[in-house]
Amino acid sequence: MMTLKDVWMTLSGVIFFAVSFNVMPTTTLAASCCGGGSGAGLLLPKLKDNMVGITIDYEKYDGFWDNEGLWRADPAGSSLSQTRFNMGYAKRITPNWQASIGLPYVRNDNEYSQNTFKNKGLGDSTISLWYEAFDEITCTFLVETWEDLKPAMYFGATLNLPTGISPYDDVQNNFDITGRGFYRLDMQALFDKTVYPWNASIAFNYGTHLQRSINREYGAYVEPYTKKLGDRKSISISAGYTVFLKEQDTLTFTAAYSDMREDKSTIAGLEDSTSGMKRRGFAFTTVWASADKSDVYKLTFSHAPQYNDWGQNFPTTQILSMGVTHAYD
Amino acid sequence: MPMIKILCFMMVGLLTACGNMADDLNPSGNDLRPSVVANSIGSSPTQVLADFSAPKTTADSFTLSDYLAGGAQASDAIVFYFTMWCPICMSHGDHILYNIMPQFQGRGTVRYVLIDYVSGSIAATTTSEAANGYTGSPFIVLADINQALLTQLQGAMGKTIVLDSNGIVLMNEDFRTGDHLISTLDNLLP
Repeated sequence: MMTLKDVWMTLSGVIFFAVSFNVMPTTTLAASCCGGGSGAGLLLPKLKDNMVGITIDYEKYDGFWDNEGLWRADPAGSSLSQTRFNMGYAKRITPNWQASIGLPYVRNDNEYSQNTFKNKGLGDSTISLWYEAFDEITCTFLVETWEDLKPAMYFGATLNLPTGISPYDDVQNNFDITGRGFYRLDMQALFDKTVYPWNASIAFNYGTHLQRSINREYGAYVEPYTKKLGDRKSISISAGYTVFLKEQDTLTFTAAYSDMREDKSTIAGLEDSTSGMKRRGFAFTTVWASADKSDVYKLTFSHAPQYNDWGQNFPTTQILSMGVTHAYD
Repeated sequence: MPMIKILCFMMVGLLTACGNMADDLNPSGNDLRPSVVANSIGSSPTQVLADFSAPKTTADSFTLSDYLAGGAQASDAIVFYFTMWCPICMSHGDHILYNIMPQFQGRGTVRYVLIDYVSGSIAATTTSEAANGYTGSPFIVLADINQALLTQLQGAMGKTIVLDSNGIVLMNEDFRTGDHLISTLDNLLP
């Protein structure tokens, strides 16, 4: 007999896995030629103390939005892709606090016009701290009182570490890049509500990059200067439906919409008018959770429409992700 | 527990395999540019760029000496920009076209040269030039078919090089905000 607690554990794992690994904005939005390859975050289900997770992302590039938001095709004969192997570990610190790390390994595989570029290396990694602003189960089958509408609320901070290969390292060209080269601190909030079999969530993210010194560009030393990437803001909303399978397995289908914007960079204190980014897109996720509530498998397709004004200074990509997490005490 | 050990082992392996990491985790502001002899042959600032020829998308070729003092199409300044037609490249290219070129109209003769180092053929460069709306623009577009210019000019995506009329390199760096390009031209042009 499945108890409410069991159901909650299952659903929270499924939903949070889906939201944190895919729907919530991450720096995986950055492009191959601009950097990218961040690790994904992990969120522990309540009542579990540890979680390990692995995802494999295959991101295919197909055109880009220019500085005016107009969509443009890549040169004929181009084939650009990035594969990310993300590893993560989350640990519960107290009943309401948890921490996690994410480490991606990135492979760039590009044919651009008549040139072939391949490179692989570590991407930008993450360290996260999350607070769960609720003690009791917020999922419900019926809404009978106002209290039943209370969502699960999460507040987090993530430090993005420039462990990837950036344009400021000893690299030959932009196809070698696996990271952006800047520290970024993200403040995050996630609100999630489940009324079986439906669920919905909304997530906010505000990130600020730290200024850094630069004395090398694409392997050539230059006169030192300082640079700061613009602040990054994003929001994502999702809605899902859960099917209960035999032997208490569950299958959850989630659709999400996300909108990410990054302000213009400053170089030596001067605004770079050619910088700044925008990207909007959709994600569709199917999650299967095992009967023992500890193993979750996920398949996600992220799609960015090739329409004008759906992005700016950003490549248009489609991402296929496969992942698994294992939670344990 | 075995999964944690495996994960830790993989992380350590990845970390130790990455030699570039420290450059970004602890970035340096030290000036590490190698010293160069002024007026020697090279592509660093104060050096003289060696002559070269490269095909243009207009079917003829671009020979550097033709555009320097004493050449058939002598210029007061030449601006090279390395493009691969990516979002950043297009943003920089449009900024040059719509913001920088107008600022220096009527102040001598400036040649703005886009170097396409990725397309690999004149036909492919011509197609990219047209697809991105630069056909008929003031840009001279070169097809760096064998990436010879990429090597000679220490090029990379977004690299911007400015020469004076004698072929002396005044600037060789990433485009950044474009302000250094503007100030360099402003100091150079009549």
